[in-house]
Amino acid sequence: MNRFFFISAAIGISLLSQTVLAGETYIPGETIRQSFDEFAKGFLENHCFDCHDNESTKGSLSLEDLGPVDETNAAIWKSVWAQLALQEMPPKKKSQPDIVERLRMSDWIVGELQRAMSDKGGFHAHRDPQKANFLNHDLLFGALPPGIRLIPTSSPARLWRLTPQEHITRLNELINTEAPYNPEKPGLRTHGDAVPTNHGGELKLYFGTDRIIRWEGGTVAYATAVKSVPAVLSTARKHGLENYPAFYSVNSAEATQILGKAEDLIKYMAYGPLSLAKPEQITDDPKSYDRVKPKGDIRGLPTAIVYNTKTVRPMTPIQRLMAVPEVSDDLLQASVAHLFEALTFRPPSLQEADDYLRMVKDSIAKIGKEDGAIMGLSAIFLDRDALFRPELVESGEADEHGRLMLQDWELGLAVNHALRYIKPDAALRQAILDGRMRTRKDVRREVTRMLNDESIRKPRILRFFRDYFDHDLAGYICKDTNALAETGASARGAAHYRAMFDSVASTDRLIELVLEKDTNVLRELLTTQQVVATKTDNVYFGRRHTSEEEKVARIAKREADKALAEKETADLEALEAELAELTAVLKQDPEDSKTERSLDRKKKQFSAAEKRIKRAKTRRQREGNTKVAVADLQGSKIFARVSRRSFGNGSMKPDRVLALAPEGQRMGILTHPAWLVSHSDAMDNHAIHRGRWIRERLLGGGIPDVPITVDAMLPDESETPLRERMRVTREEYCWTCHEKMDPLGLPFEMFNHAGLFRTTEWGKPVDTTGAITDSGDPALDGPVENALDLIGRLANSVRVEQVFVRHAFRFWMGRNETLNDAPVLQAAHQAYREGGGSMKALITSLLSSDAFLYRRTED
Amino acid sequence: MISRRQSIQTIAAGIGAIVGSSILPGVSNAAGASSGGPKRVIFFLQNQGFDPATCIPATMTSSGSLAKAKLPEPIKALEPFKERLHIINGLHGRHTSPSHSAFFGALGGYRGSDGVPPSAATIDYELSHVLPKTLLPHLCIGMDSMENMTAKPTVANLSASGAGQPIFMHSNPNHLYEMLYGGISKGDIRQQHEARSKLFDRIEQLASAKGAALPSATKQRYGQFVQGFQDINGLRERLSGVSDHLQKFAPEVDDRYTNPEFETDWHDVLLDLGVSALKSGITSVLTVGSGRGEIFGAWKGLGVEQQGHNLGHMKQPDNPIWVKIRQYNSRMLVKLMEELESVPEGSGTMMDNTLIVYTSNNADSQHTNGKTWPVMLLGNCNGAFKTGCFTQLDGTRPINALYTSILQASGVNCDRFNMGEKLAKKFDSGNGPLREVLV
Repeated sequence: MNRFFFISAAIGISLLSQTVLAGETYIPGETIRQSFDEFAKGFLENHCFDCHDNESTKGSLSLEDLGPVDETNAAIWKSVWAQLALQEMPPKKKSQPDIVERLRMSDWIVGELQRAMSDKGGFHAHRDPQKANFLNHDLLFGALPPGIRLIPTSSPARLWRLTPQEHITRLNELINTEAPYNPEKPGLRTHGDAVPTNHGGELKLYFGTDRIIRWEGGTVAYATAVKSVPAVLSTARKHGLENYPAFYSVNSAEATQILGKAEDLIKYMAYGPLSLAKPEQITDDPKSYDRVKPKGDIRGLPTAIVYNTKTVRPMTPIQRLMAVPEVSDDLLQASVAHLFEALTFRPPSLQEADDYLRMVKDSIAKIGKEDGAIMGLSAIFLDRDALFRPELVESGEADEHGRLMLQDWELGLAVNHALRYIKPDAALRQAILDGRMRTRKDVRREVTRMLNDESIRKPRILRFFRDYFDHDLAGYICKDTNALAETGASARGAAHYRAMFDSVASTDRLIELVLEKDTNVLRELLTTQQVVATKTDNVYFGRRHTSEEEKVARIAKREADKALAEKETADLEALEAELAELTAVLKQDPEDSKTERSLDRKKKQFSAAEKRIKRAKTRRQREGNTKVAVADLQGSKIFARVSRRSFGNGSMKPDRVLALAPEGQRMGILTHPAWLVSHSDAMDNHAIHRGRWIRERLLGGGIPDVPITVDAMLPDESETPLRERMRVTREEYCWTCHEKMDPLGLPFEMFNHAGLFRTTEWGKPVDTTGAITDSGDPALDGPVENALDLIGRLANSVRVEQVFVRHAFRFWMGRNETLNDAPVLQAAHQAYREGGGSMKALITSLLSSDAFLYRRTED
Repeated sequence: MISRRQSIQTIAAGIGAIVGSSILPGVSNAAGASSGGPKRVIFFLQNQGFDPATCIPATMTSSGSLAKAKLPEPIKALEPFKERLHIINGLHGRHTSPSHSAFFGALGGYRGSDGVPPSAATIDYELSHVLPKTLLPHLCIGMDSMENMTAKPTVANLSASGAGQPIFMHSNPNHLYEMLYGGISKGDIRQQHEARSKLFDRIEQLASAKGAALPSATKQRYGQFVQGFQDINGLRERLSGVSDHLQKFAPEVDDRYTNPEFETDWHDVLLDLGVSALKSGITSVLTVGSGRGEIFGAWKGLGVEQQGHNLGHMKQPDNPIWVKIRQYNSRMLVKLMEELESVPEGSGTMMDNTLIVYTSNNADSQHTNGKTWPVMLLGNCNGAFKTGCFTQLDGTRPINALYTSILQASGVNCDRFNMGEKLAKKFDSGNGPLREVLV
């Protein structure tokens, strides 16, 4: 009998007595006020030292001398927390702590890490959405074991900073009038939709593009001449949920830039294009400007633009204020009130109105009416509520659980923000003013009304799906030119990146179509055969030729090109002969006017034919992709929501078709180029990212952080399949984590890294096998043949549906779920199922839940 | 508890000491003149490309000393400064997509293009955090056509503080003057400055009041927002606090500010403001975007009637237009050096501790794949950088390696800048700084 037995036995008795003596019930979220010696030490000795004491040091880790949590051992404690929470440790073959013990230990570590790191930047990992799955799925959706008592849930009182897109969309409302919703063309971007990124993926606010009727030069000249300002608020996140309230603030550089922008915006609100251009540039007859415009090359200059005379920007009190020479209190007050509500989405209080009025008046007194009004009003852009949305429950009484319910403007704006980027519509505004935004029933009423009205655009729902699927990163994945050319996609200039931004807009539109039907939404998204496509997508949804096919296609193209070239040469020669003949006739009789006219016509024909042939030759060189069996995506005409004209003729186009994907090659969004490329890198697929996505977003599993000792690099071996290069992840040290990801990501090897379907890779049949392991649902586990097999199996899983609901919860609550949220999650899942897989039912359930409605003033 | 005003006074005193030390002889600063390395860095980026033939002496076909070489016509103004010049050809920027400008990618060393947001912080911003602390660590100025500078006085194309976080450059000298010297100005500028200062004070008060009763976790985050205004107001106050000192360096506001004849009037005074910010010690990194990182721009004041994109379509060598523009750039470089040389610092002058990086945001030409990216370095920073020579590299090391070199010289221990190992395998034949650049 060794000493560990004694220790274990002693500690086992100690722990047992502790639990028994305490006789306590575990309440999630309750602070565990026990010291290391009183609690954690025993746990470690009992469950960890078998492998991680000073003698065993499995994985070169000993916890024997770890001691209480402090800043020096915080990283190790964080790993211990991850391993415990994810139930990775103790290993399955060892005896396990009971669930309550594990939960208490996990909570204790988090509490201690928060305490130890409080003056060193804090400990926030448990609030990170990527760690949300650390909470055991079965505890949330299964029966709770004895000894756990849940308390009614709520979210912390908080401020929620706007995202860059929300901010830009809010500012856009000040100066641009977006088209009203057109039920005939429901896909076109319309009032209430988010301002999307432009052709290059940059989020910008454009001034006056709705009035531009002419510009000089090409697309780059247009982009330079047009006034635009980029987003100022920052986001640090690329994958996953981008905006929890706890993530962001506004720094001094951002505040300074917002103020600078504010003056430009107010000037445009006041004067329209006259704030950007000279009066002679504003005309419905561009020729009139030609007579007076500056001489020389003006491409790329603001003076190269002509605006029409139709006023389309929103007419506001600010326009009236600046149009009159005198200053009146009425106009100043109206301007403050208008701008305040446009920026904060609520009317100002008397105090706020008075504060800002005073600031405007002070500025006017100092520097005159025009500059002073603009400068003074710009302060409103930096009001707290213009950049953060408050959920502070500063009035009202707490219920018996210490929770306060959001009400009036806070509740109305919370509901509005759950679905929209622009201010509340008239009905919601009136409901708030009438005191009809105070109850759960009020919320259900407004949410149901808004969800059922297509003309009320709800970009936040689409944002959820972008955050969930991460398909919107495709255009930002920088591709190696040679590696890209090898895929069969165009590697010319920015063609691929443009195609990817188009592809993201197409996938967005497909999501909207599935949401319109609102039946089995998740399953549809995962399995639909429908695709929204541009012409370019015939390549991206095509099949990469095998090397033999490519060879044949190249020969065929060469021959076809040659035949065409011969025909063109023959046509040209025939025309040349006719020309010669007519010239000879005319030479004999120079007065023959009929022949002369014929000769002129023929010369023109000849010249046109020469140009046509030259163009055809260039087109042949560019087109005729021999690497790809292009798809033939046909279907009804449809539109996607793309940015307004931002790049002259090079702007994104909304036109699409709704087609069916080539049979047997695709299944749902995870097989669309946007998703596949979003989860790829410069040179190849990223099977690890893809596998991680499936593990986390569909199966609800968690992956611990990569240890800093790991050199996370695959060998760089040319013309070697990714699967083979990933052999390094199968080494014992790596495989513990990689076995959760790699077998789920490798089935997507049936597509190359531009998203084209393929059957071979480097001349050999591509291996697309993989497996679902340790999913939590034994019915799902087992080998899979390819991505379609994998997706087909997952799409019918109730567990996958529940994990989807967990992600929706996080998005709309702005935080990770706790065990106390289990009833909310279960109700939301039930609503989704009973509604036949209805997203509307899911959202309504979440938004009328305690987690959404109630706040606690201290967390 | 210390009030903001008290803390500002304390900080101002500290800054005053820093400012003072940078301009007083015999007082060395944190970066340590004795150990070499820059105390300030200037990036000067001319758009439309920098053709190597316009800077490499005709007689030089390989690396070597410039001592006996004659500099080409476009940069002949640098002839007297040859011993502190290092012409480098053969760095590459193939990964930055530089055709029609790499935009943020030029100083970031990553893929950039029109409409593509920055994917990481750029080298100028990074350096501003590394070099000895100043009141306004990083200043960006942009020179363009008069129309563009008037209609869009701030644009962000070249510098970034992080992914998706562009830094704006100033193009209206009146606005910039007010920002830097509003506290010591007179007339309208003074009025504007005072009105804005008062506004910022009120904004800070309102922001602070609205954060008084927040829950603790939120309060901390919201505190950063309020702190932001304290920083802004603090800067204004600190600048006011050293107004006597600034007075010595503030340029005279003349007609070129308010009634410019050509865009080059504004270019000149923008440079004056940049020089003054460096000389007064309030700025340690200056980024000059001639053409503002785009593919247009005008230099009518030089007698160049053509403007905009066509300039980029022209061959640069022996082209009178480009000779004029490059000569103008060179005169600006000379001005920067002479001005900095006129201010004592440590046992030498400010220029002894300054590095100027002159290049283009377009590599070697308007339509380029970035296979070569010519650069001129000026200043040896107390022997940290090799000078007086021309270096021809083999085109296998990226501009990132140059930025790594500057970071290393500035005391940052790093092997690469904005380039992961995977990308480096394809685009960088080496690792760490350029041995051809550092002593």
